[in-house]
Amino acid sequence: MARSTTSRHPSVLWLRWSWRDLRARWVQVTAIALVIALGTGMYLGLSSSAAWRQVSYDASYAESNAHDLLVETATGTTADRLALETALDQVAHPEWFADRSVRLVVPVQVDASTDDEDVLVPGQIVGVDVVQGPTVDRVTVTEGRPLTAADDGRLVGLAELRFANARNLPVEHEVRISGDRSLQLQGHAQSPEYFPTASEEAGIFGSAGFAVLFAPLGTAQALNAQEGQVNEVGVALADGVDAEAARAEVEQALSAALPDVALTVTPLVEERGYRILYDDIDGDQRLFNIFAGLILAGAAFAAFNLTGRIVEAQRREIGIGMSLGVPSPLLAVRPLLVAFQVALIGVAAGIGVGLVVGSVMSTIIQSFFPMPAWQTPFQVGIFARGITLGIVLVVVASLFPVVRAVRVPPIEAIHTGPRATRGAGLAVRGRGLHLPGNSLVQMPVRNVLRAPRRTALTALGIAAVIATLVAVLGMIDSFIDTIDRAEVEVTSRNPERVSVGLATYTTADDPRVAALADVEGVAETRPTLDLGGTLRGNGEEFDVYVGLLDFASPIWAPSAVAGELVTDEPGLVLSQKAAADLGVAPGDRVSFEHPRREGGGYRMVQGEILVTALHPNPLRAIAYMDMRHADYFGLDGIVNGVQVLPEPGYPQEQLVRNLFVQSGVGSVQSVRMIIDTLRDTVAEVLDIFDVVQLAVLLLALLIAFNSSAIGADERAREHATMFAFGITPRTVLGIAVAESALMGVLATVLGVVAGRLLLSWMVEVLLPTTLPDLQVDVSVQVGTYLTAALFGIVAVAVAPVFTLRRLRRMDIPSTLRVVE
Amino acid sequence: MGVIELAGVARRYETGGGVVTALAGVDLTVDAGELVVVLGPSGSGKTTLLNLIGALDTPSEGRASVAGHDLAAASRGELFRYRRETVSFVFQSFNLFPGLTALENVRFGADVAGRDDAVGVARDVLVQVGLGDRVDHFPAMLSGGEQQRVAIARALATGNPVLLADEPTGELDFHTGTQILQLLRDQASSGRAVLVVTHNREIARMADRVVELSGGQVVHVGPPEGGPVPVDELRW
Repeated sequence: MARSTTSRHPSVLWLRWSWRDLRARWVQVTAIALVIALGTGMYLGLSSSAAWRQVSYDASYAESNAHDLLVETATGTTADRLALETALDQVAHPEWFADRSVRLVVPVQVDASTDDEDVLVPGQIVGVDVVQGPTVDRVTVTEGRPLTAADDGRLVGLAELRFANARNLPVEHEVRISGDRSLQLQGHAQSPEYFPTASEEAGIFGSAGFAVLFAPLGTAQALNAQEGQVNEVGVALADGVDAEAARAEVEQALSAALPDVALTVTPLVEERGYRILYDDIDGDQRLFNIFAGLILAGAAFAAFNLTGRIVEAQRREIGIGMSLGVPSPLLAVRPLLVAFQVALIGVAAGIGVGLVVGSVMSTIIQSFFPMPAWQTPFQVGIFARGITLGIVLVVVASLFPVVRAVRVPPIEAIHTGPRATRGAGLAVRGRGLHLPGNSLVQMPVRNVLRAPRRTALTALGIAAVIATLVAVLGMIDSFIDTIDRAEVEVTSRNPERVSVGLATYTTADDPRVAALADVEGVAETRPTLDLGGTLRGNGEEFDVYVGLLDFASPIWAPSAVAGELVTDEPGLVLSQKAAADLGVAPGDRVSFEHPRREGGGYRMVQGEILVTALHPNPLRAIAYMDMRHADYFGLDGIVNGVQVLPEPGYPQEQLVRNLFVQSGVGSVQSVRMIIDTLRDTVAEVLDIFDVVQLAVLLLALLIAFNSSAIGADERAREHATMFAFGITPRTVLGIAVAESALMGVLATVLGVVAGRLLLSWMVEVLLPTTLPDLQVDVSVQVGTYLTAALFGIVAVAVAPVFTLRRLRRMDIPSTLRVVE
Repeated sequence: MGVIELAGVARRYETGGGVVTALAGVDLTVDAGELVVVLGPSGSGKTTLLNLIGALDTPSEGRASVAGHDLAAASRGELFRYRRETVSFVFQSFNLFPGLTALENVRFGADVAGRDDAVGVARDVLVQVGLGDRVDHFPAMLSGGEQQRVAIARALATGNPVLLADEPTGELDFHTGTQILQLLRDQASSGRAVLVVTHNREIARMADRVVELSGGQVVHVGPPEGGPVPVDELRW
């Protein structure tokens, strides 16, 4: 037997009633649901991508059998493979060590030009043991064929995937390398040490500007005339072995067997590349949480506004309910049901947005850090948390107006007479305010003052979005400003100069060095010496790349922002960031671990060195020393690089090619190229910000539209009165636009201030932990403020235009007779 | 020749259930300085009549002319201008702008009609309606009667020759209501054509003429029985 709807449970009535409320305001409901969808979707998508990175990185390292310890010789030096392996066999607990693979990594200049573009970049040849493996740090071929034992000694290789992708290299391709030799590339490949290309040079040049080429070990040794030599050993530990204990054991074995060889042993978790990958996840997650939180805050304010308006419209019905004895909690059910359902619709759409954002993020991250094992499992926990957050935030934001409405005395709620006229808000305080123009001109200001709560909520909702926009764009500005500062420093003098890296250490009077001055297009040369080292102090420890050069060189020398470049005592010119992190100033001493030539070999030594001056380059790892003090490293008269000043007007690309084919040359790059590749790298990082930026811009428009739609509803009766007095829709719209613009100005000012504070926190507190190698200062370009104003003021001001149709079609008599 | 002239005016609405006739065959003339009360029960068409005269609505047939404006033939823009310069409204629920003070609400009327010295005009009119000491009060701070007086002042500030009042005492007590009616009476005495819509027969006694509507048709037109009485003789 059919049952009538009236016989159902009373909750069905409330539910149906709330559905009617939703239908009656479907435009605003849709707009707010979209705001919530974007907020939760951004949270879900961004957070999922962070979780995917974690599992994918773990799986990729495991799949490639990444080393647990990396044994490296000092920069620019090598060791005899047999001696090194024999030394490693002398460890006290051989059962701790599961496997190992040796490598020879040599700097090289690569000409990988294709039909489409000239590709002439510095890089590395990574010689891997193709006879026995490599079993540790496997080389995973993504396209083409793997290297086999038969390839050992042949001029064949594989291009590292990120470089190959960035330069669109064909699978099979012939590249030219320093010394005018060629290598036949057989495909593209990946290996754990290069998941992010982690050397200082690669960090500076970016994946497109630094060529990593895998080659058979015998080939790499032959190319570099270093038969039997290696400079890296990747060691895999047995399950459950403590890496620190194993490291100590390896160090002991090596120092006992090879006392004259400078070697370092680094656990994987301390390696720069590994840290970059994993630290980045945490840092990004914190940023994402902030952005998603702000976006959700904007959604909560919007929901608060809508619920408040619905409650206001139901004021009389609530009063009637009260007079009929309906308990207050039950009266609150209807508006709360509306808020809950808006949240549900928003969150449901947010799941879709989250999947889309996740997919976009996945593509960006994969292109930036391609991994052999990329996994994107559905993140149940994150989605459950995001969905709960989206619903709770919106419902809680709606509680205030609902509770406030059901707590008023019934007579106040039910009253329809003159006393029901709503208050004048801050307008009461502003009545002494003498504004120019007639009453129509003054009306926007009066309206804004009249409903301070509504004004504040709308402004805060828009301000939250503008704050996110300023923070995101400001972050981009700050990065770009960082590169600009680096560019100013390195191009301050002779911006066309070229930096040549020699394949090996040699003496300053080496004929090959002298020959560079005679190369066509070269006006002048100055030898340089580049070394690696580690600085410690103030609880910090980081690697530096020390460039020894002639500070009196007419070609280029760093500028000093503090201290003196030229001193009698050997000392380092540090970056301002390095000095700040180490807590030192010019004149102080800092702990410095560096290689030192002793006898026929090198040894790592620890000492205190003077800080002579500070340079303005934002890269922390860059340090300089006067070439006159090379004996500090036992390297007096030794060089491994040359500064080259081109002849005026000589084509730089041709000069690079001329130098590239010279004997003993390892790499050639112009300083402009360094900056360009740095810009490319930063541009890749900023792709993620673009995703957030797009969402934020959409949100600003949605909130603006929503706010004006609510405003048009609230002002309907006033607009009808104006029409009755002969004011045209265009004038009414003009008043609404001016009022929205005022709201937009208020929101933009609030948003810019909040965004600027947020940006300061991100740059000054967050970035130093996630991007410690770069001195990023807060910088906000005029364009960012203009964009904020464009969306915060112009978009908000223009939003009422969408209500013009509604104004034109208004039933004036009916609207005028609506009982308050 | 009257300020308001209606001839054969009808207004019909298309609804889901068919065509509804709100007014049919209305002929009416109102002269300057005349106070006419339109009387009738709910649904009789009296507010529709007021809306047609005020150009808030357009007739389905017939001719409506107010102060020389042919409302049926006027363009949308002309109707807006007509409302600014010819008629002014007083509503049952006042419809004041809550964000503006009494003075600013009244000034609004003067501004939209393009009058010079709008502030001076607004002050004068507020004094005229007895609210000279309430100029800086917002609507929420005023009593119902005071709000309605502000509404009348706003209408007067336009200086327009036709004043249309829709149930102007509907939300007011007797005493306050009579004060408002006296103000309307005074406006007619000063030369304006005043049309008051009400369902209260007692109010009709103060009119120069009463137009009685029923079912959308004029069923009676003429002076009140026994002739117009002073406002202070009204009782309800």
